[in-house]
This record gives sequence, C-alpha cells and structure tokens, in this order.
Amino acid sequence: MRDSSYFWFNFLLLALGTLAIRGSFIALAARVRISDRLKEIFSFIPAAILPAFAAPAVFFHQGHVAWAGGKERMLILVLAGVVTYYTRSTVATIGFGLVALFVLTQVLSIYGIGA
Amino acid sequence: MKDPGFFKEGFRAMLPITTGAIPFGAVVGTICAEAGFSFTQSEFVNLILYAGTSHLASAELMMKHAASAVVIITGLIINLRFLLYSAALSPVLQNAGFWTKAFCTHSLTDQSYAVMIANQERLKTPRDMIQFYCGTAVCMWLAWHASFIAGYVFGNFAPASWALDYGVPLSFVALVIPTLKNGQYVTIAAFSCVASVLLHDLPYHTGLMVTALSAIALAALITRKRGVA
Repeated sequence: MRDSSYFWFNFLLLALGTLAIRGSFIALAARVRISDRLKEIFSFIPAAILPAFAAPAVFFHQGHVAWAGGKERMLILVLAGVVTYYTRSTVATIGFGLVALFVLTQVLSIYGIGA
Repeated sequence: MKDPGFFKEGFRAMLPITTGAIPFGAVVGTICAEAGFSFTQSEFVNLILYAGTSHLASAELMMKHAASAVVIITGLIINLRFLLYSAALSPVLQNAGFWTKAFCTHSLTDQSYAVMIANQERLKTPRDMIQFYCGTAVCMWLAWHASFIAGYVFGNFAPASWALDYGVPLSFVALVIPTLKNGQYVTIAAFSCVASVLLHDLPYHTGLMVTALSAIALAALITRKRGVA
C-alpha cells in the first residue's frame, strides 16, 4: 500500500460516485425516464466487464502443472463455466474450481502426475 | 405502521439468493486482507461503498499502484448498471420519505432489484413494493457483511496451497454466465476476454477500463436496429 491518503481518496470518491449513481433516478423521482435502448445497452455491462477481469488473471498466471503448460487455472476456469451453465450456482462453481485446482496442483503432484 | 408481512416475504425470497453472494463476499474480504488494508479500513469502505465487484476491482488496481483516476473510473464503470435499477425504483419511491429513499439508494444491489422485479405482480401498491424491497435489502445486507468479515478474518489463516485468490475469477464466471441470454451477449463476453488479454499491458493499468468501454460500444453497435440508428 502506498499510503493512507491514496486509499481514502480512491475509496471515498468511488463510494460517493456509486451513491450518486444509485440515487440518481430515485432523487429525480419519476421526472426522468430511462429509454429502452439504454436499458438494452446497460444489460451488456456484466458481459463487457466481468470477463475482462477474469481472463487476464488466469491467462497471465504462471502455474505449476507441466502438461497443462502452467495454464491449469485457465483450463479449470473453462470447466467451471460449464459447471455454472448447468448448476446456476455460485457455490458449486467456486467449490468446483478451488477443489479441482487443489487436486491438480497438490494431490496429483505427490504422484508425479500433476507437476 | 409497518405491515411486517411483505417485509418478511422479501427477506425470505432473498435467502436462497444469498448463497450466491456469500462466497463472493468472502472472496472480496480475503482480497482486502491480502491487499494489506486494515480491518477497520476494509469494513468501513464496505459499509459506505457496498458494491462488491467494484470494491474488488479497485482493491486489485490499488495493489498494483494504479493511478487514482484509473481506480475510480474503473469502479464507476462497473457500477453504472445501478442507473438502471435506480430508474426502476424511482416511480415506486416517488412519494416515500427521505430516509426510505436514502436506505433504498444505499442498499440497491443486482439481487434486490432482480428479486423485486420477479415478484412485482403480487405487490399491488408502492407501499407493498417498498416493504418487500426493504426485506430483500436487509437480508442481502446482513449476508454480505457477515461473509465479507468472515472472508477478511479467516481468509488470512487459509494455507497458500488452497489458492483462495483463484476464487475471484471463479466468482466472475459464476456471475457472468447467467447474464449471457443469447449469442449477442456471448459475443460481447468473448470480445471482452480477448481484448482484456491483448490490452493487458496498456499503460497506467487502463486495460480493464478500455476493454469495458469498447465492449459496451460494440454491444451498442451490434444491437442497433436498422433504420432507427
């Protein structure tokens, strides 16, 4: 951490800005309407942002599993996507991913299969 | 004056949904601990910000010492979606008192909005809706803070081999997959994956910001109606 002014400046402004976004239309009451077109575009925000977080985090991570080229986190993430698709469950997705990674990097390496 | 019926119903309707937020809250708490923020700092920010994805994104950018403008703008882009929910709630709240509006503003989340919309047919008056909404919001609030605090405290003790940081990309997969309603959403998600990797080395950690903005612009482009512009 650089210093506490960096911490507070960033988080206070982010929190204030977020409060302004949340309160915007509520404060304006029903005087302003949001168009259906804008609603449609906004519904793409999760698809636009969340993969941009996850993809570089696993793509640039140097792993330990030789046969996966050190990309075991990427491999498991794709499988975790399949788990989400069928279960629609955050718990199942995170649980599967963490256990699969643990098994691949810790348990299998004992037998010389993983690493 | 409060009819506890709809408040309780809202609270109950939210309970199964919190199972999705609890592991995510724990991940955000763990990352805040790893970033070296004190417990008081982390939970205070969590109290005033109360928006997990942006909390996580800004904490990670701050660990990389990104410029303040990048940290704040990236977080705000993530939270732009609240504009939609605010617009959806505003007609319901237009005759409500200041503190009701203030609480509903603070506690606005993806989940509360979704649960209220899913139940709107049985909520006849704005009063019913507000009570129901407050029930969902209080339930989410308690679950979120409890899981965040648990993540902060216990995440620290977990051995490194458990790789709890891997919970971050995993939770994003779990959050994004249900929003991919058709091929257009899949296209945007795929674009976002590729662009974020290619733009990873942009200066000042602006990769995420640029990826998000260009993906939203692409979404606007591919969904535009012919002749309407």
